[in-house]
Amino acid sequence: MNYVATIGEREVKVTVEELGGANYKVTLDGREHVVDAHQVANGLWSVLYGYSSFEVDVTRHPGDEFEALIDGDCHKFSLMNEQRRAMIRAGGKGAAGKAMVTSPMPGKVVKLLVNEGEEVRADQGVIVVEAMKMENELKSAIAGKVKEIFVKEGEVVESGAKLLLVE
Amino acid sequence: MFQKILIANRGEIAVRVLRACKEMGIRTVGVFSEVDRRALHTRYADEAYCIGPPPARESYLVIDKILEVAKASGAQAIHPGYGFLAENPLFADRCEKEKIKLIGPSAYAMRTMGSKTLARKTVQAAGVPVVPGTVEPIASEEEVFRVAKEIGFPVMLKATAGGGGKGLRLVREEGELRSSLRMAKSEAKSAFSDDSVYIEKYIENPRHVEVQILGDQHGNYVHLCERECSIQRRHQKVIEESPSVIITPEIRAAMGKVAIEAARAVQYEGAGTCEFLVDRKRNFFFLEMNTRLQVEHPVTEMVTGIDIVKEQIRVAAGEKLSVRQEDVKQTGHAIECRVYAEDPERNFMPCPGTVTSLRIPGGPGVRDDSGMYTGFEIPIYYDPIISKLVAWGKDRTEAIARMKRALAEYVVTGVKTTIPFHIRVMNNRHFIAGNFDTNFIDKVFFKEEEARRLENEEVALFAAAIQVFSEERKRAAAFKPGEAAGPASMWKYSTRPGIRKIG
Repeated sequence: MNYVATIGEREVKVTVEELGGANYKVTLDGREHVVDAHQVANGLWSVLYGYSSFEVDVTRHPGDEFEALIDGDCHKFSLMNEQRRAMIRAGGKGAAGKAMVTSPMPGKVVKLLVNEGEEVRADQGVIVVEAMKMENELKSAIAGKVKEIFVKEGEVVESGAKLLLVE
Repeated sequence: MFQKILIANRGEIAVRVLRACKEMGIRTVGVFSEVDRRALHTRYADEAYCIGPPPARESYLVIDKILEVAKASGAQAIHPGYGFLAENPLFADRCEKEKIKLIGPSAYAMRTMGSKTLARKTVQAAGVPVVPGTVEPIASEEEVFRVAKEIGFPVMLKATAGGGGKGLRLVREEGELRSSLRMAKSEAKSAFSDDSVYIEKYIENPRHVEVQILGDQHGNYVHLCERECSIQRRHQKVIEESPSVIITPEIRAAMGKVAIEAARAVQYEGAGTCEFLVDRKRNFFFLEMNTRLQVEHPVTEMVTGIDIVKEQIRVAAGEKLSVRQEDVKQTGHAIECRVYAEDPERNFMPCPGTVTSLRIPGGPGVRDDSGMYTGFEIPIYYDPIISKLVAWGKDRTEAIARMKRALAEYVVTGVKTTIPFHIRVMNNRHFIAGNFDTNFIDKVFFKEEEARRLENEEVALFAAAIQVFSEERKRAAAFKPGEAAGPASMWKYSTRPGIRKIG
């Protein structure tokens, strides 16, 4: 299977091939590596690379964004199937001009800072969500108009919940 | 001795107190909010009572409910832990009225030490050095100028009713004083409807060092030496250690002596902590006294071998302290890392959720005080502290090495934690050299971290790519039943190249 990883500005072509058992042939920009990888808990991988043993905690975020934690180092990158990437590219700017504000954590909506129909700037705080005694102001990624608000003040929301849409 | 104690707290500290009670053969009563039914402290206690809805002000902070449970269960004493009702003199008053022993100091000691100006006045009278400045609000602009010149710049203007950094103004030279005073006053007025301010010498790049004391009802006091708490993020302690690298035996003795004097001044009973600021010339100044068990008490326990919670319980029951000053010795070095359910990659945003897997470090010299387990859902309603990892070593070098080793073993999945942050601090050259002050994390550490190159990038990519690959395979297999790969044979696995066999 072919993938593209994007690390900052860099792109790395990645392929994965199963060799049987828990062995995989992984290529990074054409360089071949044989890796023995076991998922020992949800998202937690024990990786033997050569004879070096690593533990990697992989978190997948929406939008094919990844975080891989190795001994205190957090690697951030996006990783996408090549076909899927091509499809999204071909699909063009369908989603452009719209930005959904979602809750990055479970919590309680403390305050709505804007009303429906209101104009907002990019990076303007639009809603306050409280979790664990801390209030977190969430910002709009784009400038535009508040199209719809999906929550009320006082409402308890899950991680990833849609809060409001800016267009 | 008490037969039954109620623990008016939750999370790791409730578990810590429960452990002491169990070891002493005392029956325990836990209290829990509706969201904490499955919490560890509810499960560990001998009896447990629900005290209301999740928000603390409707459960853990409701004095009437706690006392009701104490009476219903027949508990003779209440341990408040830290936070919640621990330093609330009204709670202490009510306990006294209901003839239930609160494990801690008197309401009088809490009130005195809880007021900035009163605490300062009281300890100053007992001969404890305080930061030079005024105790009373300043009456006139002339007086501000007079005092500022007397104590020397830089000075800090502080709102008398202050808190949370509001009404604070740093003044570096005389020319700025008039306008700063005006701003401090107007800020204080709008934040606290009280525009009175006082003036203090500003200690530049201080270290935060505190002294643990114990007192009993018979007038005996001991100090259990110092804890270094300068590793702070946004004024919150995150890593503590004992001993402090800057404290000499002479300074330790002097600090211990004044901490005991401060305690004696309010007839202090139980465990308490005097916090000091230490300047570059190692002058120390009293900051405040915390009239409760501290979060970071385990580092002191690790180096002195004294169980502070058990001592609290003993002296509350009227017994004498079990240790004399000459018995108190620091052996080796201990470090504590506070593990929070926060995401260091997202500006330490709180990260409540379910712990999907957990591996707690073990081995020599490691202690984990936590309130979580696999499957535990960390609630959104309370402080995000989920564990305190403590490492002991024969010296600081071994303690750091052991902490690094233990942090690397510590695995929590399902929620983000500050474990990676702690690993980075343990690897930082300034931390290793003991060269830091209270601004270190915010001003130096994060800047250095930004410029750092990450290691093992290819391994990160391997794991993520293989995870995506496996998920795609699984999804594809679900469409074609019968063709899905069976479970891997253990025989095949054990002969696979690349797996080392030991033994």
